Amino acid sequence: MSKQIQEAYIVAATRLPVAKRKGMFGYVRPDDMLAHAIKSVMAQAPGLDPALVEDVIVGCAMPEAEQGMNVARIGLLLAGLPNTVPGITINRFCSSGVQAVADAAARIRLGEADVMVAAGTETMSLLNQMMGNKIAMNPAIFEKDENYAIAFGMGLTAEKVAAQWKISREDQDAFAVASHQKACAAIQAGHFKAEISPYPIKSHVPNLKTGEVMINDYLADTDEGPRPDSSLERLAKLKPVFSARGSVTAGNSSQMSDGAAAVLLVSEKILKQYKLKPLARFAGFAVAGVPPQIMGIGPVEAIPRVLKQTGISQQDVDWFELNEAFAAQSLAVMRTLDLDPAKVNPLGGAIALGHPLGATGAVRTATLVHGLQRTKQRYGMVTMCIGTGMGAAGLFEAMF
Amino acid sequence: MSNFIVRKAAVLGAGVMGAQIAAHLVNADVPVVLFDLPAREGDPNGIVNKALDGLIKLEPSPLATKDRVAYIDAANYEQHLDRLGTCDLIIEAIAEKMEWKDDLYQKIAPFISPNAIIASNTSGLSINRLSQGLPEALRAQFCGIHFFNPPRYMHLVELIATQSTAPELLDKLESWLVSRLGKGVVRALDTPNFVANRVGVFSILAVMHHTQQFGLGFDVVDALTGPLIGRPKSATYRTADVVGLDTMAHVIKTMQDTLPDDPWHVFYAVPAWLSALIAQGALGQKTRCGIFKKEGQAIRVFDLATQEYRDSVVDIAPELLAILKNRNPVEKFAQLRFCEHPQAQFLWAIFRDIFHYAAFHLADIADNARDLDFAMRWGFGWTQGPLESWQAAGWSAIAEAVKADIDAGRAMCSAALPAWVFSRDGVHSAAGSYSASADDIRPRSALPVYQRQIFPERVLGENPVAGTTVWENEGVRLWILPQLDSEIAIVSVKSKNHTLGRDVIIGMREAITRAEADFQGLVVWHEAPFALGANLKEVVEAITAGQFEMLEAYVGEFQNAALALKYAKLPVVAAVQGMALGGGCEFLMHCAKRVVALESYIGLVEAGVGLIPAGGGCKEFAIRAWQLAAKTGGNDPFEFIQPVFSTIAMATVSKSGAQAKELGFVLDTDKVVFNANELLYVALREARGMAEAGYCPKLSPRNIKVAGRTGIANCEMMLANMKEGGMISAYDYLVAKYVATALCGGDVETGSLVDEAWLLTVERKLFVELLKNEKTRQRIQYTLETGKPLRN
Repeated sequence: MSKQIQEAYIVAATRLPVAKRKGMFGYVRPDDMLAHAIKSVMAQAPGLDPALVEDVIVGCAMPEAEQGMNVARIGLLLAGLPNTVPGITINRFCSSGVQAVADAAARIRLGEADVMVAAGTETMSLLNQMMGNKIAMNPAIFEKDENYAIAFGMGLTAEKVAAQWKISREDQDAFAVASHQKACAAIQAGHFKAEISPYPIKSHVPNLKTGEVMINDYLADTDEGPRPDSSLERLAKLKPVFSARGSVTAGNSSQMSDGAAAVLLVSEKILKQYKLKPLARFAGFAVAGVPPQIMGIGPVEAIPRVLKQTGISQQDVDWFELNEAFAAQSLAVMRTLDLDPAKVNPLGGAIALGHPLGATGAVRTATLVHGLQRTKQRYGMVTMCIGTGMGAAGLFEAMF
Repeated sequence: MSNFIVRKAAVLGAGVMGAQIAAHLVNADVPVVLFDLPAREGDPNGIVNKALDGLIKLEPSPLATKDRVAYIDAANYEQHLDRLGTCDLIIEAIAEKMEWKDDLYQKIAPFISPNAIIASNTSGLSINRLSQGLPEALRAQFCGIHFFNPPRYMHLVELIATQSTAPELLDKLESWLVSRLGKGVVRALDTPNFVANRVGVFSILAVMHHTQQFGLGFDVVDALTGPLIGRPKSATYRTADVVGLDTMAHVIKTMQDTLPDDPWHVFYAVPAWLSALIAQGALGQKTRCGIFKKEGQAIRVFDLATQEYRDSVVDIAPELLAILKNRNPVEKFAQLRFCEHPQAQFLWAIFRDIFHYAAFHLADIADNARDLDFAMRWGFGWTQGPLESWQAAGWSAIAEAVKADIDAGRAMCSAALPAWVFSRDGVHSAAGSYSASADDIRPRSALPVYQRQIFPERVLGENPVAGTTVWENEGVRLWILPQLDSEIAIVSVKSKNHTLGRDVIIGMREAITRAEADFQGLVVWHEAPFALGANLKEVVEAITAGQFEMLEAYVGEFQNAALALKYAKLPVVAAVQGMALGGGCEFLMHCAKRVVALESYIGLVEAGVGLIPAGGGCKEFAIRAWQLAAKTGGNDPFEFIQPVFSTIAMATVSKSGAQAKELGFVLDTDKVVFNANELLYVALREARGMAEAGYCPKLSPRNIKVAGRTGIANCEMMLANMKEGGMISAYDYLVAKYVATALCGGDVETGSLVDEAWLLTVERKLFVELLKNEKTRQRIQYTLETGKPLRN
C-alpha cells in the first residue's frame, strides 16, 4: 500500500572528509560540522530560497553533550538558514543518516514538503565513550535470557556472526586490507572530490612556550582513515579485542570517526521551478529487526525488503554501499545474499574510511549518488547493520 | 648545613640504567631532563623518546605510575646542553668508555650551574680518573653514584668520593638518596668495581670455578645457590642470563684489566665454555638462549660435559637439605664442612672462598664490614652479607677452617687471611662494625637522616629498639616509643603474614579503646607485609562446621573494627609497606590517614577467592563515589563506581604506593614514603601533627545516594560481554555482580538514599551468601593449598 503522490529527488549531497577519532576533527564540534555540511549543500543549489526548506532532519547516534540539545536546530541556525526553518534530530544508531534521508524523502513523497534537508553528524572524539557520556542500562535486560544480548557490545556481536557464518580470521583480514586498498586508490584518483566539502579547521591551541594562544588553520579535504600500508601481515599480528579466542580485531573492524554530511531533497515541482539537475531519485527504504546478538546480519533482512518494496531486483543494483561495521558481518551479509563483491564498496568502506555512527548513512549516500553519476550507473543502495539488532537499506536511482 | 634541594635533575645517557634512574627520580617528584646523542635521522630526540616508550612498557615497571614519564623531558647533546644550567643534580650514565666520558664532560662543563652536583653512575671506572675530565673548578662537586639494576627496586647506591670531592656534598647527597629516593647508601672506596660488584662478581666466578671442580650441572648449582642459602631465586646462572653473558664477560674483563696484583687475578678470566656460548650468540635472556634455553614450556640447560642443552634435572641430596634446614648457623656450617656429598662440599667451598676474599679485601674496598655486608644484601639480594654469615657461623671456628683449607691448598687462593681475623671474634657488634683499614670499630652514620629510621636494617650483633608495651593479646601489641613520642601509641599485628584473625580483630578494638583513653594518636605499624587479608583458615573452619550465622557475626565484628579505626576519637594513621590485601586494605582505608611505602602492593583481592570485600571496602568506595558525584553537575555516583568496580572485580593490586592512589585505596592527601625504614617515623609525626591540629573524626555519613539497580545493570553489561567473550567464567560473573551490588548500595532504586550501616549490611549478607556457594569454598581451599587463585 502506497500513499506516494510525488517523487523525491536528491539535488545536492555533500560531506566533510571523515576524520579518525581524536584526529583532525578531535576538537571540532559536531554542530559546527553539521552547520558546514548544511551550508555547503545549500550552496550547491544556488537559486533555491533557503526559506523553502520545510524541515531539517539530522541523524545522530549519541545525541547528547556537544551533539545534544536537538543538534539539528542548532546546526541549521549556525549554517545561516532562516530561523523559520525547523529541525529535528533522529536516532536509529548507525543508520540514522540514511534514516534522515528516508524521512525527508517521505515528507516530499507524501506531499507534505517540497524541499527538505537530511543530514547526519557525529563526533566520537568529544564523547567519553562508545555508549555516550552516561551509561544507564535497564536491569530488566538481565532478568530474561532473551533480552540478555541487548547488553552485548558490537564487537561481541561481530564475533557471534563470525562464528555462526564461519567467517575466518584470514577472510576478515583480507577484506579489511582490500577496503584500505580501494579507499586509497579512490583518494588517489580523486573520486571523492565531488562529494567532499573541505572543512576549514581553526583550532585554538595553547603554546606553552610562548604563553600565546595559537590559531591553527588547516583545510581538511581528505578522509583520514585509509592506510596505504595496511597488509595481511600487519593485521595478522593484532589480537582479538572482544573475545579471548575470537577473530575480530581493531584492524578488521570499522574505525571510530568524526564526520558530517547533508543531502538536499526536493519535489519535481521544485526541480522544474528552479531548474535544478537531480543527482538521484529516492527509490525506497526499509528497516528490519534481527536478534541483537547477531546485529551485523541486519542487512540480510533489510535489503530484500527494500527490493521487494521497490520492485527492483538485486541484480539491477549496480553499487552497494554496505557499511563495514566489521569485516565479519560484511562478509556474512555478502555471502548470504550472494552480493557481487565487485559491486560492494568499490571505493572502500568503513574499515578504511571510518564510521561516524549517525552520520555514516548520510555520508555514504553522498558517496553513492556522486559515484553513480561518475560511473553512469543506475541503481545504488546504502545499507548497514544497526546496534541492538536491525538492518537498514535505502535504494537510489541515478538521474542523468 | 644548608638545605639540599634538587629542583631538577639531568641524566646523561638514555640506556637501560640512565632511563631507569630518570624514572626513579620522577617517581620521587624530581623532574628530569634525559639526554642522549641526537638521532641520525628523524626526531633529534628519537633515542631518548624510544627509551621513554620502553620505560612505559617495561615490567616490573621502573615508573611508580605510568603518567610520571611526562616529567622526563627528552633532550640531546647537540641542541639542549643549555638546559643543564637549571639542573641541581647531573647523573652521567653513558657507556663505560673513559674517552667517551672525557669527551662528554668537556662538552657539558661550560653549561653546569656552579652549585650543581655532577655524579657518574660508572660501575667500574676510576672516579678519580673520571674527575680529571672536568675543569678543576667543578671537581669538588663531582663523585661516583652507583645505582644497581633495576634502580627502583635495588636498594643499594654506592657513593664514591674523589680526592677533591667536598665532604659536605657527599653528606647532603647521601641524606637525599636515603630519604628522598629511598636508597641504602654505602660509601665505597675508589677501587675497581667498588664494593658490591667486586665481591659479587668474585662470588659468581667462585661458583663457576667450583661448579667445574665438583662436576655439577648449572641447574643443580642454581638450586643450591638460590633461596636455600639466602640468595635470590635467580641464583647464579639465571642471574648471568638475565644480566647478559656478554655483559658478564665484560665485567670480568674489567677486573682482569684493572686488578693485576690481586691474589685471585688468575680467576678473573672468562671460562672457555662461557666464551664459546657468547661466540655462538647465546647471550642469555636477550637472545632467548644462554646458559638456560626455553623450548616451549620446557627449560633446558647447557651441559658442560656434552656441550649441549639437556632437560633440567635438579636432584638435591636429602642429607644436604636436612643440613640447610638447620636454623643454628654454627651447626649448619660445621655439618656442611664435614658432609662428604659433593653438593655439600661445593657449598662449603663457595662460602669459604667468599669469606676468604671478603676478609682479605675488606681493608682495600670498604670502610667497614657493615658496608661490605650491606652492599651484598642491597646490591645482590643476599639475606646476609658474607662477613655476617661467617660471624653467625662462629667466627673463630670458621676462621680456623678457612685457614686450614688455605694451608692445605683447597682454597682458590693461597693468600693468608689478614691477621685481624684471628684477633677478633666477629666484625659486627652493638657498638659498630670493624674497619680493617682503620683497625677500629665504626658506629652507625651520625647523619641526621638516619634518625628517621627507628628500625633500620640491622647487621648481626646490633640490637633493635624495643619500645614499651602498653597492652597486648595474641593478635596485636599496643606499645610506645617513649624516647620519640610517649603520647602516640603504636599498634602492631603479631600474626604470621599479619593475617587478620579473631585475635587481631578483638585486639585491634581493644587497642583503639585504650588508645582513645590514654593517648593522643595511634599508628598501625609493623614490618612488611602490612596484612595478607582475613584469616581464611578460620573462615574455612566455620564453613566446615556450617556456622554461617557465626560467620556473619564474625564479618560484623570485622566491620566494627574497621569502623572503630575510622571513628576513633584520636587520629589513626596506617603505616603501610609491602602487601596490603583484602581485609588489610580495608583496615588501611578506614584510617584517618595513610603513610605508604613506595613499594606497597595494595588491593581488594577477595574476588580471587570467590568473595567480595565485606570489611567496609565496598562501602568506603560507595561513600566516596557519592561524595565525588555530589561535586559534579551530573550528580551520578556510578561515574565513580565504574573504575572501582573493574579494580575490585579483577582483584587488581597496585604496583606501588603511588599507584594505590590512582586506584583509590590511598587518598591524594596521603603520603608516599620512599624509604620504608622511615615509615614509622613519618607516621608518628603525621599522627602527632593531626593531634596537635585538633583532630576529631567525621560524622558517619547519611543520605548517601547510591547507584542502585541501574548501576548494577551497567556493571552487568561489562560482565556479559566478558563472559560471552570467554574472558571470565560464569562464576566470575556472579562474584563480580555481587561486587557491583555492594558498590551500588544493593538491589535498590538508583538514587536511593542510604546510610553507612545499610551499606555494611549489604556487604555482609552478600559475603555470607557467597560463602555458602560450593565454588567459593573450592576457591578458598585451592588458595589455601597453593597460594594461587582458582578460576572455576
